[in-house]
Amino acid sequence: MKLYRYKWVVCFLFFLSSLVNAQEKLVNIYNWSNYISSEILRQFTKETGIKVNYATYDSNETMYAKLKANPHSGYDIVVPSTYFVDHMRRQGMLRALDKTKLSNIKNLDPALLNKSYDPGNRYSIPYFWSSTGIVINTRYHALGQVENWTDFWNPKYRNQLLLLNDVHEVFSIALFALGYSPNDTDPEHIRQAYFKLKQLMPNVRLFSDDAVKSLYLDEDLTLGMAWNGDIYQAMQENSAIRFIYPQDGFIVAIDSMAIPVGATHLDNAYRFINFILRPDVAKKISLATGYASPNQAAVKRMPRAVLNNPTIYPDPKTLERSVIQVDVGAAEAIYQKYWELLKVGG
Amino acid sequence: MNRLVKSSYLTAIYSFFYLPIIILIIYSFNDSSYSLLWHGFTLHWYKQLGDDMALAVVTLHSLEVSVLSATCATLIGTLTATCLYCYTFFGKRLLHGLMFVLIVSPDIVMGVSLLILFFLMKMQLGFWSLLFSHITFCIPFVSVTVLSRLTGLDKNIFEAARDLGASDFMSFKRVIIPMLWPAILAGWLLSFTLSLDDVIISFFVTGPDFQILPLYIYSLVRIGLKPELNALCSVMFIITLFIVGIFQLVLRKKEA
Repeated sequence: MKLYRYKWVVCFLFFLSSLVNAQEKLVNIYNWSNYISSEILRQFTKETGIKVNYATYDSNETMYAKLKANPHSGYDIVVPSTYFVDHMRRQGMLRALDKTKLSNIKNLDPALLNKSYDPGNRYSIPYFWSSTGIVINTRYHALGQVENWTDFWNPKYRNQLLLLNDVHEVFSIALFALGYSPNDTDPEHIRQAYFKLKQLMPNVRLFSDDAVKSLYLDEDLTLGMAWNGDIYQAMQENSAIRFIYPQDGFIVAIDSMAIPVGATHLDNAYRFINFILRPDVAKKISLATGYASPNQAAVKRMPRAVLNNPTIYPDPKTLERSVIQVDVGAAEAIYQKYWELLKVGG
Repeated sequence: MNRLVKSSYLTAIYSFFYLPIIILIIYSFNDSSYSLLWHGFTLHWYKQLGDDMALAVVTLHSLEVSVLSATCATLIGTLTATCLYCYTFFGKRLLHGLMFVLIVSPDIVMGVSLLILFFLMKMQLGFWSLLFSHITFCIPFVSVTVLSRLTGLDKNIFEAARDLGASDFMSFKRVIIPMLWPAILAGWLLSFTLSLDDVIISFFVTGPDFQILPLYIYSLVRIGLKPELNALCSVMFIITLFIVGIFQLVLRKKEA
């Protein structure tokens, strides 16, 4: 008798939970960790009455795996980086955006829109952007000594460099040094880049992509590559660190908001994206996290000290040397093959 | 000589266990956001921990799931163990063996298979799917703990209880449960910890509306762990010490 009663209680709970899920005042966001301040989420809920469920990931691959494993996992907004937008839209994992619902899109910097990874921004709206460049500690190396990626090959830096543990970031160095594009798909060029990198290996101390900033900050490493956002944060605690945009070119990555095909709270997702695109909101997020905002109207309102810091906002002339990553398609397998060979020292 | 070897061996083992935790606790007082060098003493991170609503929500989610799943798993697991011990029925050995299979099967197998199950059932991923998964992987640990205690007891006691006219339920309640108490507590604690720190299975089965602490911490690794998390881990460690202390006291009283 008792068991029967409990069965109904369980059924009732199920019913309740399904009610909660069906309620539409809700948006599910899956974003990089440290990419927002909780104050902004509270402000959104206060203004719109929409509850935000916010989950975080550490890499594009994690987010991709989660969506791939279950396309109806319920996320309404994800934030893939440049070539992952390309990859995911080709696989039909993203929904084409209805721009009429995004009135604030006019605030975005046209220089960061309509790139080859997503022509016309049909699937993605920029959230943050960042550059990969050279980090140098001026206590150990004179400024001006390292201006190009090719300077990494100098034998005097034996066993000193930190390289990011990412196949495309690392190959981009060699491809830039050889005068090719970091998005090169020619197998011969990739092979040449591999041999170029093999020559660099004696200078490499470490491949790492987690907590890179602590390594530079504590001067465990004094020279290498990094993302500008990390270095901006490290510079707050160690003034000897400098970020350099290499003369021979550098990669710019744009992390973009996109709506997965399985999203269920479409209207709320559009409202959230439009909210993020508002200048005052974009400014707050950028200042709270230290990453560069693609929102022109927001950038105009930034404090002078931030605007004049080239680590976050390089001037337009520097930006002319930048290249945006795209999906290399079938060449990915070639990159992976040489990447593994490089790591095992073959 | 022998004594020296013994004590140095123990010291080595215990420092291997506890040194990382002590270092973590020390660093929770370090006055620097990302640096791993010592920059002076501060309580700033504990204060920030108190103010961080997002982290509090995630931690509460984790505790909620762990307490619920540990409790359910303990109930089911204890019954299972008693069943396996007291009764003979068809397929008993198979069931017993299958329990061990679950214990040794890799988390990733469990995570993916549960995900497929929920997918086929068209069940929305979130709190319920997470809870069911955690209960599932905790049950075998409880039953094995309880069963090993049961086999160590004198079987005649249960037969005596029945001889004296106790029904199955009565002997379960009045004889078996009191004697199993330490094992049940141990099983609960084991499930609680397993559930609290599970990353792999949770990654697959949790949904967008239910983020839990281990996944949150994991997502921060690449960006750089905040000392705030060191503070949180220190607090959790102290609470754990406290709970274990209480359990030890309770158990000692029972034994006495």
